[in-house]
Amino acid sequence: MKREKIQVRICVGTACFVQGGADLLLYGDFLNPDMLGECEIEGTSCLGGCKQAESTGLKAPFVEINGKIYGSVTQERFIQLLGEAMHA
Amino acid sequence: MNDIFIDVDFAQIYKNGQKIGGDVFLQSRNPLGNQIVCTLSDGLGSGVKANVLATLTAHMAHKLSFSPMNLVRSAKIIMDTLPVCKERKISYSTFTIADVRYPSFEDIEVQLIEYDNPPVLRFNGIQPVEWERNRIELDREGAFKEEVVFQSQVRLSVGDRLVMFTDGVTQSGMGISLPLGWRGGGVRQFILDTVAVQPTISSHDLSQAIVRKAYSLDGLASRDDITCAVVSVRRPRRTLVVTGPPFTEEGDEALGERVKTFEGRKIVSGGTTALIVARLFGKKVKVDLSSWSPEVPPSSTLEGVDLVTEGMLTLSKVASVLEKKTPSSALPNDAVRKFLTILMESDQVSFIVGTKINEAHQDPNIPVEIGIRRTIVGRIRNALEKNYLKDTSLEYV
Repeated sequence: MKREKIQVRICVGTACFVQGGADLLLYGDFLNPDMLGECEIEGTSCLGGCKQAESTGLKAPFVEINGKIYGSVTQERFIQLLGEAMHA
Repeated sequence: MNDIFIDVDFAQIYKNGQKIGGDVFLQSRNPLGNQIVCTLSDGLGSGVKANVLATLTAHMAHKLSFSPMNLVRSAKIIMDTLPVCKERKISYSTFTIADVRYPSFEDIEVQLIEYDNPPVLRFNGIQPVEWERNRIELDREGAFKEEVVFQSQVRLSVGDRLVMFTDGVTQSGMGISLPLGWRGGGVRQFILDTVAVQPTISSHDLSQAIVRKAYSLDGLASRDDITCAVVSVRRPRRTLVVTGPPFTEEGDEALGERVKTFEGRKIVSGGTTALIVARLFGKKVKVDLSSWSPEVPPSSTLEGVDLVTEGMLTLSKVASVLEKKTPSSALPNDAVRKFLTILMESDQVSFIVGTKINEAHQDPNIPVEIGIRRTIVGRIRNALEKNYLKDTSLEYV
């Protein structure tokens, strides 16, 4: 059975880009190919996460995975989050 | 802004192995006096000596054309002043002066003075144009040869071009690919062929094309300095740069309308601004993850707009490359390069700057380069006008 791909959107707004979002755009280098094949990755302008930082306590850079927004995403955390999404 | 633009640019390749050239081209614009003076000079020999001779000649010719002095006297002064070459015991350097005056854009007159450079070529579209030249003998004391200056006046209108070059162009390929070199006729034919393919080619591109052709005829090892300058009169190429959301939301619609109706190329810089424009156009912004560099976020595509980029980081990088005069070919393939390429291919750049404050940039963790939009746009305008002689305008919304 063919599974749906995981929908990933990386924020490339100014605030996210300078605070670590640029590292995430190297996904082609640090994700393993199996994982890469499971994901549909695209860039997006501001997800709006930074404007609700006070209420949610989340910080840049933001990534949206299957509709849910995550904050403070480093490369390690990105791999971990995608792993969780694959086995969900 | 004006409907007619006088486009002046030049291209140059030094003699193979030389780090300095014996051909010098100068241009300056005096917008208040509606005058543009272009001077092309070729010094005797090559390298430093030739460069000194040519620089002296070009600067003198340049200054003298802004003064009301008689041209014959100016030419004599130039030749009397040049230092004498130790080997050849003569002082010599050629020059071409094009003094463009335009009381109005319907009335563009060029005073042309030619001394020993290959004759200037004139075209109207793809039609070569001949004109009368006055022959003036200088009769200077201490002259080592007959000195003849050609003086003429031409009127230019839209579609006209003047092409001037040094003997490095006409003699290119001599004895290698062509027995007598490219010669004036060959250059003329090349220009006709080029213009026939690209009728709106800019002075920059045309001069580059001529110089590169001469270089290839020389077998990619130029045997003299190769310089070509082009003056063309044409309709301006316009570009609109929109950055920042309008201060009030009511302004959004008007901004979208401005972008939609603008005739020329359009750049939207800033994520939020792009979203506003996309909403009004009913189109989607798609981020292009293939073009970015560690310093510049990716550009995006949006139907109806030529380029969509991130805002402040991209703009401040654009400002610094313009200030340093970095050519776009030296940049990585990112949004700044695309931005710069469009700016270089425009004559008039209009900026519309939104004054709304972005809350996401008020975080103290954000680097200081993300300064104030207005300051950065000011730097870009200043550099475009000073370093690249572009016309710019600015409007806040």
